[in-house]
Amino acid sequence: MLKIQNLSKTYPNGTQALKNVSFDVQDGEFLVVIGLSGSGKSTLLRCINRLIEPTEGKIIWDNVDITAAPPAELRHIRRKIGMVFQQFNLVKRSSVMTNVLSGRLGYVNPWTSLLGIWSQEDRQRAIQALDRVGIADKAHSRADALSGGQQQRVGIARALMQDPKLILADEPVASLDPVLSHSILQYLEQLNKEGITVICSLHFLDLVHRYATRVVALKDGVKVFEGSAKEIDRAKFKEIYGEEAQEVRAASL
Amino acid sequence: MSIETATRRPVVRSGIASFFLPGLGQFLLGERYRGGGILLGFVVMLGTTVWYGKPLWYAAPILIWLWNIWDAISLANGRARSILLPLLFGLAAAYGIGWQVVEIDFSKANMDRALAILRPMTRPDFVQPRREVNQMWVPVQVPCSSQPPAARREDAGRAAMVIPDCGGVGETLIVNVTGMWADAETNVFWQNPIGNPLMLGEGEITMLTLTTDENGSLTTTIRVPSTALVAAPDPTLPQFHRVYFEQYRPTGGYELSFIGNEVLKGALATVSMALMATGLAMLFAIPLSFLAARNLMSGNPVTYAVYVAVRTLLNILRSIESLIIAIIFVVIVGLGPFAGMLALALHSVAALGKLYSEVIEGIDPGPIEAIRATGANWLQVVRYAVIPQIIPPFTAFTIYRWDINVRSATVIGLVGGGGIGFLLIELIRVNNMRGVSAVFIAIAFIVIVLDYVSAKLRERLV
Repeated sequence: MLKIQNLSKTYPNGTQALKNVSFDVQDGEFLVVIGLSGSGKSTLLRCINRLIEPTEGKIIWDNVDITAAPPAELRHIRRKIGMVFQQFNLVKRSSVMTNVLSGRLGYVNPWTSLLGIWSQEDRQRAIQALDRVGIADKAHSRADALSGGQQQRVGIARALMQDPKLILADEPVASLDPVLSHSILQYLEQLNKEGITVICSLHFLDLVHRYATRVVALKDGVKVFEGSAKEIDRAKFKEIYGEEAQEVRAASL
Repeated sequence: MSIETATRRPVVRSGIASFFLPGLGQFLLGERYRGGGILLGFVVMLGTTVWYGKPLWYAAPILIWLWNIWDAISLANGRARSILLPLLFGLAAAYGIGWQVVEIDFSKANMDRALAILRPMTRPDFVQPRREVNQMWVPVQVPCSSQPPAARREDAGRAAMVIPDCGGVGETLIVNVTGMWADAETNVFWQNPIGNPLMLGEGEITMLTLTTDENGSLTTTIRVPSTALVAAPDPTLPQFHRVYFEQYRPTGGYELSFIGNEVLKGALATVSMALMATGLAMLFAIPLSFLAARNLMSGNPVTYAVYVAVRTLLNILRSIESLIIAIIFVVIVGLGPFAGMLALALHSVAALGKLYSEVIEGIDPGPIEAIRATGANWLQVVRYAVIPQIIPPFTAFTIYRWDINVRSATVIGLVGGGGIGFLLIELIRVNNMRGVSAVFIAIAFIVIVLDYVSAKLRERLV
């Protein structure tokens, strides 16, 4: 279980991205974080694996305080938390294989990994991960030779290499078209059904309704809603997204 | 009537104002920048013409002055004139003055001299027909001792002799050789005891060239060269000199000439010089580039100060042409490719440091974040997220720099930095235009090939 307690983040330039946010995530949940751009979704997700250091508050995962972990232990924790990004964050000039293998860096001997030497077992695992997302044939292409949807699948395969218990997905489909959005989210849903907890930020409400088991909404860094997707009615919607907001649907699929 | 005078007055007033002081009329009408600009342009134009002192160019300020009055009147009538016209006057004057400052004078061209240089250049001295040599010599004593040995010698079916057996400087001798190639041009020359050849032809400055008869024999008279004993420690001491007979005939095919060989060596030295300089520069530029990357160094005031210092140093170094740095290194380490290499390296450190630092500033932070999220340590992040992003552009820039350095290395020889440029300046000094032309061709070849190779390599990297 992941407990987020009174989390706050203030950037050096004075921006308060998160203000006293608290909620719990049960194991096996597909938790979706919604909110306008700049509402603190990305900051929240990055605080969980401490890519961004929170200013105040605690994050406790399976009774371990992530926020207090020293560097070596933090790396140990991170390898169990896969992360998927809006911009995929692949090394574009490297091969798909190398990108996927790099998900294993937390597990392997650091010195051999610096030389670029990977065990047969890890390579096998990488091919399996690529196979799961349906692009095993692209293993030796350069990452930037792939389409957006394929690149995001490489991103998921990289996260899978970590053998994660938790996946953080920061707007994984915001750079993709609606059809691809569903395909990517279905992979995440599948992983979720296999027991991996997923925390995902999303923009489109129909995707939220379709995939979320629970929803947390942020507005200006403050949690304004927590509950099931069905509870988001017109009034809640206006509260989260502001008075002028109009609902946009990804696609009626 | 009264309306008309009201509009006429500013027209006349501004016209008169601009008549006395260019731009004043415009200024009074509220067009302050226009007025100021016109005054400035007029003063600069007038100043230049007065300083240069050619009466013809006074036309320019006068035309600008006239236009200015016209403009002031038009402006008062509510319509500004285009400034194209005074700009054209100014430009015409500038080019006219420029023409004279540059001393353009086509009558100076001397076609005879040009041809004297260009004609040999059409036959670059790179290869020569392969040939074999038939050489024979005979010893002769200078000056005579009391009992000189016989001046005869036989070798491989050839025989040569001098009559008499010895002689003093300026004395006439008869030389004879038999058994040489028949009907062949034969060079006859003198060699002093330390091995220096001396010419026997007209005025002792041309080669004495004769033709053998159908039996391969040749007889002629020579005069012991006036400089035969110049190198002798004691001119009264008899020593053995030699008379040489030398024939050449082609054996088919071509071989590198002496100059051609030098050109090849120079070309190799130039390319290696550039290669060494680029390699050395790379070693220093990589660490410096990290210190000169804003995104890495803007964290705190100390690192920012280092960043500013390194950037400034690189900018200063980069602004000094490698040719000038070479002059300094020639003084420090002496003439030769080493000085040139150091100069190119120093300049390249600055150039590469800047290019590399811009690569580092431009890397995508996304992969760094992603690799950190996998639980990788700092070194692994550098290895998997930073290095793959910077290696290809670093390599591309390094090859590009090598390409530039080869071109600079051809010129750097002119100030004593070694390589093909050094050969070029030596050949120009001795007026060997055939050699110069061979060097030109070699330089063009190197630059074109390298340009192509470097473009192809860089294409693969980006």
